[in-house]
Amino acid sequence: MMQNPTFIRGPFFQAALLIFVAGMLYRLVRVLMLGWSKDNIPPMGSKATGVTQSYLKGLLIWPFIPWVKNTFSKNPVIYLAGGLFHLSLFTIVFFGAPHMLVFKSLLGFGWATIPLPIVDWMATAGIVAMIALLIHRLTNPVLKLISGLPEWLNWLFVFLPMITGYLMTHHLFLPYEKIFGLHVLSVSVLLIWIPFSRISHFMFYFFSRTIHGQEFGKRGVKP
Amino acid sequence: MTTQDAMNTFVKDTGGWVASQLEACTRCGICADACHFYTATGNPEYAPVWKVELLRRAYEQQFTFSGKIKLALGIDKKITDADLNHWSDLNYQACTVCNKCSIACPMGIDLGSLLAGVRSGLAAGGFVPEDLAKAVQLQLDEGSPLGMTDEVWEDRLEWVEDDWEVDIPIDVEGADTLVIFSSIEVMKFPTNIAAIAQILNAAGENWTVSSTAREVVNFGFYEGSEEHTKQFLKTLLDGAKELGVKRIVVTECGHAYDALRWHAAHMLPEANNFEITHITGVLGELVGAGRLNLKPGFYDELDAGTITFHDACKIQRKGGHIKEPREILNLLAPESFKEMTPNQEQAICCGGGGGVIAIKDADPIRFKSFELKIDQVNKVGAKTVAMSCSNCRLQYVDGVGHFDLDWKVTGLSQMVADALIEEE
Ligand code: SF4
Ligand code: SF4
Repeated sequence: MMQNPTFIRGPFFQAALLIFVAGMLYRLVRVLMLGWSKDNIPPMGSKATGVTQSYLKGLLIWPFIPWVKNTFSKNPVIYLAGGLFHLSLFTIVFFGAPHMLVFKSLLGFGWATIPLPIVDWMATAGIVAMIALLIHRLTNPVLKLISGLPEWLNWLFVFLPMITGYLMTHHLFLPYEKIFGLHVLSVSVLLIWIPFSRISHFMFYFFSRTIHGQEFGKRGVKP
Repeated sequence: MTTQDAMNTFVKDTGGWVASQLEACTRCGICADACHFYTATGNPEYAPVWKVELLRRAYEQQFTFSGKIKLALGIDKKITDADLNHWSDLNYQACTVCNKCSIACPMGIDLGSLLAGVRSGLAAGGFVPEDLAKAVQLQLDEGSPLGMTDEVWEDRLEWVEDDWEVDIPIDVEGADTLVIFSSIEVMKFPTNIAAIAQILNAAGENWTVSSTAREVVNFGFYEGSEEHTKQFLKTLLDGAKELGVKRIVVTECGHAYDALRWHAAHMLPEANNFEITHITGVLGELVGAGRLNLKPGFYDELDAGTITFHDACKIQRKGGHIKEPREILNLLAPESFKEMTPNQEQAICCGGGGGVIAIKDADPIRFKSFELKIDQVNKVGAKTVAMSCSNCRLQYVDGVGHFDLDWKVTGLSQMVADALIEEE
């Protein structure tokens, strides 16, 4: 496979994409079909307000301003690393010029990209953040307890595309063709892995944030 | 005890609402820092995400593809009796279901509800700690876990009426409001009974207590058994229906309010025939509408040092009555009232809720977690701590004794009643 970049870039990547989409759809439908009971409790406040606040807090305050919540700021570096990692990933995947070519070929349309120096800086920050998060996971007693094989694989499968992408843009170590093949391979592996793992949280995030907002909003308290 | 019953309950209770939240968890461990039991002891097993682990495993093994693969590969194992016993200790002794962790979780997972779900399974399998199970049995047999039988209830109320010279209307048909006290108040804080009666009488409320719906405490809710919770709630709703009241007021008891206000209608739709509220809400309403003749600045004049307010998880964060105590204290003690940090939604739990205080084995970590409160109260330099939950108050009184502190611990109703201007 490694010897055959065209295969990796072509059918293998497409198969991975298919597994990713089908797998995520399956997970979504499965959860939706488990049944949802109706909430007949008379509210004290507005659920809609709660949901709005919940998303604002989730996206803006959390995790970029950890000291807003003074009790949770025991380890602000980790909050910042978590936030930075997500920001970096989004920027690179959705606004990096080379990725835009992939989106254009898949979707038939694209959008504005962010200049390479900024994307590159983001990539560096993302990689540093990921290493910080790994060290934290290796040393924090709670994280040691709750981390099993799937958690370590999550880290690895996300890290590989990032590091190969970085090496590729900086033309380091390996010839471009080879590292490009490795990059697409690692992305494909990640795509296949996501539906089986907790990286899928980006989809269920919208459930839990909404529920959180509803629960706090209906009681008239700040989420 | 059967593990299968526990598993069946986990599976039965897992709808999309629970499943989507279990799926959303990234295992980031951030919730740990929010939990007073973890912060106080540093025991990683007290991390909220770990307490929910049992429910997650049950869900994955039953419903998800990856869960089944993990089971087949031996990465996960079938849940055993030993697991259930272990998680029974973690959940009943080291969790007050205060839901602070839900605020910390970056995914916004409503951990409190999931933790209650874990208890449901444990209760169905018979894995409730002995002390708690005994209290439930007492409530089933005598109508109260604290030995408040019919006779005791009558005697105590009569005694309060005589000693404090206050009228307590009993079984008045057609009253607007049914007030249901907790046995903690009747047995341990009778001044609360007198205070609430004085306030309602002064405001000219048309209220009553009921000799059948007389115990608002719900130990079934603590243990997480839907059957028992429902049975105890039904006694209250039946009593309210008999008297034809419009409104039910829960007095200074947090979990009882949580059960009646936010859960009863899920199990017993007739709960929605009544307006269900907490005494803190009523106090806020009466004070706000000027229906009580209170002496503003009463506590500043007493000059008894700084007063602070402890937010009860089930009445403030989970109950919604955050503003009222502040409005009242800012009126009665504009100078001496000071907030602890963090407070309101972010408040740190007293450490005794969720039935924890009833479990002897939990004493060491319960006191350990109370040290966080000592720290907070000392930081604002308060000499008086007011609260609107008698369960918190029990924990504070216990903590004050254990650590030999010189604070005054009191209830919000008590503070309002004391500041009433006697009408000639
Ligand atoms: S509900 Fe409260 S006591 Fe229980 S795990 Fe969460 S923070 Fe800790
Ligand atoms: S903070 Fe939320 S997402 Fe993170 S481990 Fe705890 S429950 Fe899971």
